[in-house]
Amino acid sequence: MKKQLLTLVAAVGLALGGGMVQAADTVKIGLMAPLTGSWASEGQGMKKIVELLAEQQNAKGGVLGKKIEVVTEDDGGDARTASLAAQRLTTKGVATVVGTYGSAVTEASQNIYDEAGIPQIANGSTAIRLTEKGLKKFFRTAPRDDEQGRMAAQTIEKLGFKKVAILHDSSAYAKGLADEANALLKKKGTEVVFFDALTPKESDYTAILTKLKGAGPDVVLFTGYYPEAGLLLKQKKGMNWNVPFIGGDANNNADLIKIAGKAAEGFYFLSPPQPQDLDTADAKAFLTDYQKKYNELPPSIWAVLAGDGFRVMVAGIAGAKSTDATKIADYLHKDLKNFSGLSGPIAFDAKGDREGEVYRVYKVDADGKFVMQKL
Amino acid sequence: MEEFLQQLTNGLAVGGIYALIALGYTMVYGVLKLINFAHGDLFTYGAYLGLTLLTSLALTDRVGFALGVLVLVLMVMGLVAILGAMLERAAYRPLRESPRLSAVVSALGASIFLQNTLMLVYGARFQVYPDEILPAATLDVFGLYIPLMRVLIVLASVAMMVALYLFIQKTRIGTAIRAAAIDQSAARLMGIDVNRVILLVFLLGPALGGAAGLMVGLYYGQVNFTMGWVYGMKAFTAAILGGIGNIPGAMVGGLLLGVIEALGAAYVSIAWKDAIAFCVLILILIVRPTGLLGERVADKI
Repeated sequence: MKKQLLTLVAAVGLALGGGMVQAADTVKIGLMAPLTGSWASEGQGMKKIVELLAEQQNAKGGVLGKKIEVVTEDDGGDARTASLAAQRLTTKGVATVVGTYGSAVTEASQNIYDEAGIPQIANGSTAIRLTEKGLKKFFRTAPRDDEQGRMAAQTIEKLGFKKVAILHDSSAYAKGLADEANALLKKKGTEVVFFDALTPKESDYTAILTKLKGAGPDVVLFTGYYPEAGLLLKQKKGMNWNVPFIGGDANNNADLIKIAGKAAEGFYFLSPPQPQDLDTADAKAFLTDYQKKYNELPPSIWAVLAGDGFRVMVAGIAGAKSTDATKIADYLHKDLKNFSGLSGPIAFDAKGDREGEVYRVYKVDADGKFVMQKL
Repeated sequence: MEEFLQQLTNGLAVGGIYALIALGYTMVYGVLKLINFAHGDLFTYGAYLGLTLLTSLALTDRVGFALGVLVLVLMVMGLVAILGAMLERAAYRPLRESPRLSAVVSALGASIFLQNTLMLVYGARFQVYPDEILPAATLDVFGLYIPLMRVLIVLASVAMMVALYLFIQKTRIGTAIRAAAIDQSAARLMGIDVNRVILLVFLLGPALGGAAGLMVGLYYGQVNFTMGWVYGMKAFTAAILGGIGNIPGAMVGGLLLGVIEALGAAYVSIAWKDAIAFCVLILILIVRPTGLLGERVADKI
């Protein structure tokens, strides 16, 4: 009896010990994404991409001779949920974190990761101040709003518009972009005849459009997200008002066309290149694999940028030959140059921002296709 | 002046939808003193079921636009009514004798459950009604642009509200509902089956909410599984504004809230329009704590 008990204890001990060894045998990379909430389609895409990349990397032997394990937490596209998600990830032993989409959501998690000494790489957060806080371990594969603001002002000028109306949705991202474009346009002497915000998630924007129309702009710059842009375009057409709209990069989503239908024709927006416009060999191969596995294209470039975030972090761990946060961050700041990302070459400046021009101008054609413009 | 009238019609169209949803809140509150937080989600179900039925049955292709939409409205109202009754059975009836707070928590739970079920079934992306279902005619009244559909939406809302009002005021069943709203135990002593009255309320309110969801889907085209939240909040506000528990109050409150929002956006600031609407709510509650039409306590529901 005693002997049996001993064997049992030994067996349990072995099993436990074995389990622990196994746990330390993987490199955990956290993914924080809006799997639910109003940006859920982006979040689901992020998860699919990162999981596929992890699978492929593991087939090639993982990193540092260990398998990669992706630990996903849902931030709900909401700052409060995000801070809880971030706290959960910090307790799960992740080496680095990829994510997330919205600027305000990323902001809620930044300090939590920084204090826990975990490098974070955001994929959709373009608000300027995220990288102006002096956080040494924060990176992003997304471009910054001021770059987009510059591009917006430049595009409006190139297209020859003189009276501009600016509409945002009060989110950190949309307001940042609207402010930046507003300042630049005024500096150049372009008249800004309207500047205000709508309330997202509503269905009826005719009150706002009526007021906009009263201001008599010859172009409207809308810096918010695609669900509202789609409705604005549709209701604008219903009003028989033919003013052109220019949108920010949060409009780069195929659902915009579904919502606006034919009314989307002629809509301009700024964006990093779309998934299907990515032309590097790596990107093409990856998109083929993605389509094979999930039978669809990634929902947007932002999800692809999460994939780039994941690849950068894997390269960082491999380059630093360690999962030590400071070493990874140093490597990414200094030694990672011309990394072949899915969305083009990637390098980071001292603030953790991506270097180089990312934005393009797109226009929606009569068939609802996004066509890259040469201006 | 032209812009004012335009904004007025904008506000009335949105307000009509708020009013229809507000009726569901106010009826349940009248009888059960419970805020049915899942009501906004029943509205969303109306929008989604309408989309599914519309695309799978191709009603409007078979029997023409007017008849097709009518049949669709009836089907959606029926299905959402059944859903409402199931909700009452599962989430509220077991808690009938419990403290009121338990029922409120149960309502919130039901809301989360309904919302996430919808997301798992239909996916997280926006769903879009087919484009060419509705006639895109626009009425031109003295230079005012008013799409025909908007007029129809307001007319349909008003018709449903009037029908409900007459039903509650003029029929025996309506009298039973009013009696149960005033005093449940006394109503029971008078031979009224209170459980059936409550079930009926949970059939009527969700049916109207479902119809509102279908109208939003048909007119705005875009539906999303979280849309019930914003509409629910606004309709709830409208119900309080008009005096919760009072049916004409919900109608007036809804239309008023829509108009206040549109005019606030037009003449003060778009970004502040919700704040303006809520300020008006606070002011009205300070002057009339029971809401605009809340004084007729005996007439509750």
